[in-house]
Amino acid sequence: MLVFESYRRAVSSILAELGEEVEDLVVLDADTGRSTGSLAFGKKFPQRYINVGISEQDLIGTAAGLAIAGLRPVAMGFSMFIMRAFEQIRNTIARDRLNVKIIATHSGLSPHIDGASHQSLEDIAVMRSIPGMTVVVPADYMATRGLAREAILQHRGPLYMRLGRDNAVKVYDSDEGFRIGGSRVVADPVDVVIYAVGPMVGISLEAARLLARSGVRAGVIDLYTVKPIDADRIRRASSRSILSVTVEEHNIYGGLGGAVAEVLATSGAGRLLMIGVEERFGASSKDYNELLEMAGLTPRSIASRIEAAIARVR
Amino acid sequence: MFEELASNGSAWHVASSRSALNIIAAVYGVWIPLGRILGVERVGLLSKGHASMALYTWLAASGAIGVDELKSYLSPRGRLQAHPEAGRVPGIVASTGSLGQGLSIANGIVMASRIDGKPREAAVILGDGELDEGQVWEAAATASAKRLEGVIAVIDRNLIQHTGRTEEVKPKEPLEDRWRSFGWHVVTVDNRLEDIAWAMVDRPRGRPLAVIVRQ
Repeated sequence: MLVFESYRRAVSSILAELGEEVEDLVVLDADTGRSTGSLAFGKKFPQRYINVGISEQDLIGTAAGLAIAGLRPVAMGFSMFIMRAFEQIRNTIARDRLNVKIIATHSGLSPHIDGASHQSLEDIAVMRSIPGMTVVVPADYMATRGLAREAILQHRGPLYMRLGRDNAVKVYDSDEGFRIGGSRVVADPVDVVIYAVGPMVGISLEAARLLARSGVRAGVIDLYTVKPIDADRIRRASSRSILSVTVEEHNIYGGLGGAVAEVLATSGAGRLLMIGVEERFGASSKDYNELLEMAGLTPRSIASRIEAAIARVR
Repeated sequence: MFEELASNGSAWHVASSRSALNIIAAVYGVWIPLGRILGVERVGLLSKGHASMALYTWLAASGAIGVDELKSYLSPRGRLQAHPEAGRVPGIVASTGSLGQGLSIANGIVMASRIDGKPREAAVILGDGELDEGQVWEAAATASAKRLEGVIAVIDRNLIQHTGRTEEVKPKEPLEDRWRSFGWHVVTVDNRLEDIAWAMVDRPRGRPLAVIVRQ
């Protein structure tokens, strides 16, 4: 059974907590504070909350200025529209290695009613291509809390955190044990290793349970740091498995699948099946699960693709 | 010094740099040093980053870099890149080169003062062609909405942009009215060092200020 929690509630709660202990923490938003959850911080710390209006390029530039002045800005917005400021992120935040955290919500298919215009399926690829950019994709509510805390307290420099909306499939019971640059084995791999990020970690766990029923022992690794990726863990896990699989709520090109493929292709550590949204845009639905079905990202569909791939490998 | 640099094979965006020389001298030579006396941390942002020849010439003339270093302009291992880079060149707090982005950064720097209490002001050197960029107006609206009186936009009204005269490519006039309608104080001055510096120093408060430097 999948249990859905809310990414934005998670980030909202941790920011409000961190505001108490981190005096130079400033949160910015481009007039989406009600939706991203940043407004809770704004209500608690109005002096340290900046709404720049509906202007994402200005949002990123303003955050850059705050970082240059020595403060610790967190810029929030919908991941689709943060991409509108790709060049500002690349040319100022990244080129000057500024300590700006970009926390983007509503990624993937999660704004399920809004449809294609709001469903970012390209953002991991875009952010991963920027030199020096750290890219983090938390799996669930607890992971979001733990990684946002790490990002703000421990990490210096540019960082992009990709969150969904209310589609955080529950995986973890605690927000401890996450570290920027790390990854986590959620279920030990034997025959098959599934690498997943975001809500696909929980979905993949369910797929692994289905596979176990037909005798396939699949493990799941949460590669929550997509960049810099935990290449050692990938090489070790993949070299012991007959098949490696990536599952992501993102276009199959350039995202998690691309990142893992880069490691495997340069180490010769096994075959890869890449599961994701296949070169298309999203759509509107009143039910998020309906979109997962359309994209082939349900546990059942993932399990059957893995079984078919194993048959080919064997 | 500038003309020497322009004639020794390093000519690059010469007209844009030449028209910005007095502005750079006013910002870096008068306004910023005056801030030190007043106890205000003042920074300059060369939003029109392609005017680097003017900036580097100023830095050499004022002794911030050696005159000999100008010979390394545009060389891959040198720090005098075509578009100035922060942390490498004295007085550069943000790397530029992509147009339209300096004003947002200035807003952020000045807003930080409201949070940590350290007084800061920022002057942004904008090209008039650069005003075609939408982000300039996003930031102009933000500076006005937040009443950032510590932000000054100095506009190099040289009437030219990449492919021709500004009023033929995409008219900027009525330029004063544009800034005023965004809630800014506006003053137009001649391209003389003392006029630019005076406009920046003896200024109305309460709102951000645009100084249009006409040719």
